[in-house]
Amino acid sequence: MRAIKGVLLTCDSAVKQILLTMNEKDPFVIEDLDDYHLVIKADEEYRVRRELEAELEKNTYSLEAN
Amino acid sequence: MASKRGSEGTGEARPSKRRRGDDNDDYLEVQEEEYNSEPEANTSLVPRGATINFSALTRKLAEARRTTTVVDGEESSLDAHRRQQDALVSHIFMDQDFSWLLLKADHPSRPLWISPDDGHIILEAFSPIAEQAQDFLVAISEPVSRPAFIHEYKLTSYSLYAAVSVGLQTEDIIEVLNRLSKVPVPDTIINFIRERTLSYGKVKLVLKHNKYFVESSHPETLQLLLKDKVIREARVVTQQTDNSIKAATFTTTKAPVKGNLVIPGTKEAEKKKDDTVTTRAGTSAPGGAADADLFTSIVGVDNDEIDEDDDNVHAFEIDDAKIDDVKKRCNELEYPMLEEYDFRNDTVNANLDIDLKPSTVIRPYQETSLSKMFGNGRARSGIIVLPCGAGKTLVGITAACTIKKSCLVLCTSSVSVMQWKQQFMQWSNVTDRQIAVFTADQKEKFAGESGIIVSTYSMVANTHNRSHDSKKMMEFLCSREWGFILLDEVHVVPAAMFRRVVTTIKAHSKLGLTATLVREDDKIADLNYMIGPKLYEANWMDLAAKGHIANVQCAEVWCPMTPEFYKEYLREQSRKRMLLYCMNPKKFQACQFLIKFHEARGDKVIVFSDNVYALEAYAKKLGKPYIHGGTGQVERMRVLQWFQHDSNVNTIFLSKVGDTSIDLPEATCLIQISSHFGSRRQEAQRLGRILRAKRRNDEGFNAFFYSLVSKDTQEMFYSTKRQQFLIDQGYAFKVITHLDGLEDLEGLVYKTKDEQIELISSVLLANESEADLGTDIRGNEGDLAGTVTSKDFGPTRFPGAQRTTGSLTALSGAQHMSYVEQNKSANKKLARDAAPRNKLFSRRDKDKATARKEQRAMGRT
Repeated sequence: MRAIKGVLLTCDSAVKQILLTMNEKDPFVIEDLDDYHLVIKADEEYRVRRELEAELEKNTYSLEAN
Repeated sequence: MASKRGSEGTGEARPSKRRRGDDNDDYLEVQEEEYNSEPEANTSLVPRGATINFSALTRKLAEARRTTTVVDGEESSLDAHRRQQDALVSHIFMDQDFSWLLLKADHPSRPLWISPDDGHIILEAFSPIAEQAQDFLVAISEPVSRPAFIHEYKLTSYSLYAAVSVGLQTEDIIEVLNRLSKVPVPDTIINFIRERTLSYGKVKLVLKHNKYFVESSHPETLQLLLKDKVIREARVVTQQTDNSIKAATFTTTKAPVKGNLVIPGTKEAEKKKDDTVTTRAGTSAPGGAADADLFTSIVGVDNDEIDEDDDNVHAFEIDDAKIDDVKKRCNELEYPMLEEYDFRNDTVNANLDIDLKPSTVIRPYQETSLSKMFGNGRARSGIIVLPCGAGKTLVGITAACTIKKSCLVLCTSSVSVMQWKQQFMQWSNVTDRQIAVFTADQKEKFAGESGIIVSTYSMVANTHNRSHDSKKMMEFLCSREWGFILLDEVHVVPAAMFRRVVTTIKAHSKLGLTATLVREDDKIADLNYMIGPKLYEANWMDLAAKGHIANVQCAEVWCPMTPEFYKEYLREQSRKRMLLYCMNPKKFQACQFLIKFHEARGDKVIVFSDNVYALEAYAKKLGKPYIHGGTGQVERMRVLQWFQHDSNVNTIFLSKVGDTSIDLPEATCLIQISSHFGSRRQEAQRLGRILRAKRRNDEGFNAFFYSLVSKDTQEMFYSTKRQQFLIDQGYAFKVITHLDGLEDLEGLVYKTKDEQIELISSVLLANESEADLGTDIRGNEGDLAGTVTSKDFGPTRFPGAQRTTGSLTALSGAQHMSYVEQNKSANKKLARDAAPRNKLFSRRDKDKATARKEQRAMGRT
């Protein structure tokens, strides 16, 4: 069996939901462990982090944006 | 480099006029000395490739200069360290590094920092002379942000116009600024102040015999204005027999009113004092006595800049319809028009004999705001900004009582029309026949020559299909000259509507009242030329400290979304998203917890929700009474009464209807579960509901304002945006991420996953339209859209047909089905609980009824 290099992500439940929706578009999750843990493909880690950051930023209000 | 040298040169040329403040001398000497030592080659502290603009250059120069002077003296290690730190900091601030501004020798005792670039002024509010400095700054600039210790103000053209119209002189403004500032007032600022204040007051807009005239004692100014296309077109040319060149262009009249108002400084001041005493009986302590020592010479000047030696006043008439364009244009040309009304010398319009009741006492800040309006014995047009619950109405009424001419009050809804009328009756001795109401239902005129009419903006601005009655009423309104027009909640009025009001109604002076001079669309500046400058803006924190409004603790409670809800939230793209974050079970729990906590403390709690679906769901689940637009009048009154008087009903749920029109001084705690996106105004208005708390004067009393926010959703964004206005007023929002003891609460709702999933399925089933905000409110005819909610109200919508499958027997109830209402509204319970009248009374009632019947029978025969 071919081995895939994975990374264990620990996150809160909300972020996990965001990741799961991102996963639907572009799969990267290897294993959904529980409410707070996911194993994802190691080489996708950087992209996932960046996209997550962008997603979370949408809900932040900053004075500069005005 | 040439430009740099030039600017340095002007900097050095200043001493001659700076010498006035003798305390400046020593620092100037230092500056001269430094200047003599030639700036050396640039040190490596500032990178060569740095942005080359003026301030950067000046900074470099100053940097170099500083190093040379330091080298002259012995350099301690501390100095070296400082210098290094400075250099570090300069890098961070880039263009905004003003460390090159030289501090005065005694800077710690001066409270101001002035930014040379944009006219922002930073005030150290903890300084011992901060209070006086504040009075001065409020007069010349606009407050931007006023938290506890550091205040920020901004010099703008409008604020400077306002300053001049209050009687401040250009040189005095600069002088006082310089005295208060830690650094010498930058040239850019001085020039700015000069430029703005110079042209102000030369042109006047006056209303004579129902026609508008642009008046000035300088014919050349008028000539200049007439060169402008917009103004030329607005001019009404009247035929006249020309006998001189001047008369060919303008109507020239003898300057009026001089005979009566000889020397403004003395006689008028006396008169004014008289005025104050009579109208504001009962108030003592004239405003501004405290700052007398420092500012009397400046602020107190009763200088009349318009009444110059020229005996003749030149004027030309302009078209009513274009008055607005002309005003705007004049502002652009930097000849803003002065609108003042010399009401005491107006003999054309009949006086209105009203006064405040002797028992009426106005508060010091109300008096201050009015003194800005009547500063030189005339009524000035402008806007007064006071927090909700601080008595705006009384300010308006006092102003009307001071002017004593016919007065038109415009407000936003028919509900507030009635409130204004009632307030007028309460505070002043106006009689019933002097005050009239003009709404869709009532069209009255006052009896006699003069009086007060209360109406709504839309009634007056409406242009199409009026009823016969309103048409006649409008003719009446347009045909006469009004001494005074009071505009309530000015910030909400759309510019177009406003323009119509201003052009159709002829008024000598206008006063706008508002609590929140903010709009989400930046139309606020329009008010500046349509009404006038901001005359006064109260400091919320100050009023709270003095007990005029309640102290409020604000908090934002973060409720995490449950995974199920968040999953749906992410999937959903429509408006239903909103429903999902409102109905978040964790929010339910937080709400329940807070209600319980505050009820136990003896607080009366109001829960606000814009979303009617959520409102009903919450109220029913938690077993509390609620009011929304669909609640009947009788039920509404009953619920409110229970809330006010019954110690068992301590919480009510309100929809948008509660934002403005319901007054509940009992409430001391406010929880907000859903709101109108990022509306700063709504946030402030809701806070206003608890500012007038009855118990505010109790020792250590605090009112509470909670905003429940679902984490990781758009709500976080809106919530922060909404708070900006209150933050600028000095309120601090605490963030609560976890409510202690929430988990252990008895009877906690939606505790199990099953219940939560049930909730989510019901939310998902809900119509998309349920997610709309404020669907419950339908404006009365004549209400201003956007005052109650910004939705456009159509006729009542009926739900569309629904199709379900089922056998006929089942639908007809033949399968032994029965329905039980599980989740009853608490309103119904209250209704049933209402104590029946005692038998004793019922018998008496019966007797009475029979007696009446008999009487009627007798009468008929």
